[in-house]
Amino acid sequence: MDTSRDDIGIAIRSALLKKGTQQKFSLFALIVISIILIASESINYKPINYLRSAVKDVIYRSSLIISFPSKSFKGITNFTSSHINLYKSYEELKKENYLLKKNISKNDYLELENTQLKQLIEDQVKSPENLVSARVMIDKSSLYLNSFILNNGTNNSIKKGMAVLDKNNFIGRIVDVNFFSSRVLLVTDLNSKIPVIIEPSGDHAILSGHGDELPSLDYLPKDSKIDNGNTVFTSGKEGLFSPGIPIGQVFTKSNKKNVLLYSDINQITFVNINIGDLNKTK
Amino acid sequence: MAILFKKVSSGFFEFIPLLLLLFISLNGNSIIDLNFFSISIHYILVYYWVLRKPGSLGYGFIFLSGIISDVIFGLPMGVMSLSLLVVASVATYVRVVTVRISLLNDWVSFLPALLLASLFYFIALYFSGYPTDYIYLIKNSFFTFIFYPVLWSIFYFISNIMRGD
Repeated sequence: MDTSRDDIGIAIRSALLKKGTQQKFSLFALIVISIILIASESINYKPINYLRSAVKDVIYRSSLIISFPSKSFKGITNFTSSHINLYKSYEELKKENYLLKKNISKNDYLELENTQLKQLIEDQVKSPENLVSARVMIDKSSLYLNSFILNNGTNNSIKKGMAVLDKNNFIGRIVDVNFFSSRVLLVTDLNSKIPVIIEPSGDHAILSGHGDELPSLDYLPKDSKIDNGNTVFTSGKEGLFSPGIPIGQVFTKSNKKNVLLYSDINQITFVNINIGDLNKTK
Repeated sequence: MAILFKKVSSGFFEFIPLLLLLFISLNGNSIIDLNFFSISIHYILVYYWVLRKPGSLGYGFIFLSGIISDVIFGLPMGVMSLSLLVVASVATYVRVVTVRISLLNDWVSFLPALLLASLFYFIALYFSGYPTDYIYLIKNSFFTFIFYPVLWSIFYFISNIMRGD
């Protein structure tokens, strides 16, 4: 019995501590380094943060180069499929154009009325519109993170918490900033919780991501009367983003209120980052 | 001429495990998600080559590839490295205690490696304050285990070419 226990001990020691042939490091040493690295994540010390940012920047740039062929292939596939579906989309656009023309006069009136009402309550409608554009470098989704890596960082005054827009639609917020890159946490991510307001009912809710394409509306009032097609905007309650940034439309799926985003998150190449709002609140 | 060609090609194939390891980390393909399926190629790659041909994958490179994956996937640095090194440790242990290696032996011994790696992955994420999707983790481990023989066959073919068979 003792001999077999000794054998196991010798085998474990040999596996973990010996470097082995053609190995420069022992497994045990590297495991210890990994644990130290994980523990150091919580340490907020400037030189360590700089080092971490530099490492991340180098890895993002290398990843951009390595993933270039697969990205090009994806681009070619999208281009081909869009050509195949050209006629279908043309018909859809024709219908949409007809509907839009029909609604234009109505919208003009509503816009005028809205401007007058805003002036009436002395609301500061003039948004600073301090936007910075950035290109999506990497758009890999992981087990826990639906995110983009952008090619701008602290070099362009980007800070944690800033709102990220696709055209005028809200798609996420900045969660990690390096010197020349930053990470956007998308609204579809498991960790994303955004306070929103629903038009026209005016109900407040929290938009929660679940890792799939449909984030859901949580903490709605019990007597809320929201319907499919109602518009969801940021409420600005957290104090970081401007209120009234459009996000998507309410879409009920198996009795659960979800939000169909205005932006197709899989097709985004360029984004705008609203840097003015954060500076204003600070 | 034929001998030279054979030498050059086998020399190139020597680097395939290492190139694959770094490529899947940098390209973000270490975990393949296809609808319901989720397979961690990283674990299989590390386990196979550390068990079969330890000289072709250095522990330092495994650590580096884990760090790259962590950065690409936005996880705390060291989480994936730790999991991969746990897989490599089990593979090294199995190599020390086993005499004859076959697909079945490999496959059965891969299960504790996978479970231990997932456990370490979970613990590291838990202490880093990251939310954990248990169902996804179980699903990923299950399908990685099921998919092992497929990649084993491909790697076996490559290792035969490396030997010059």
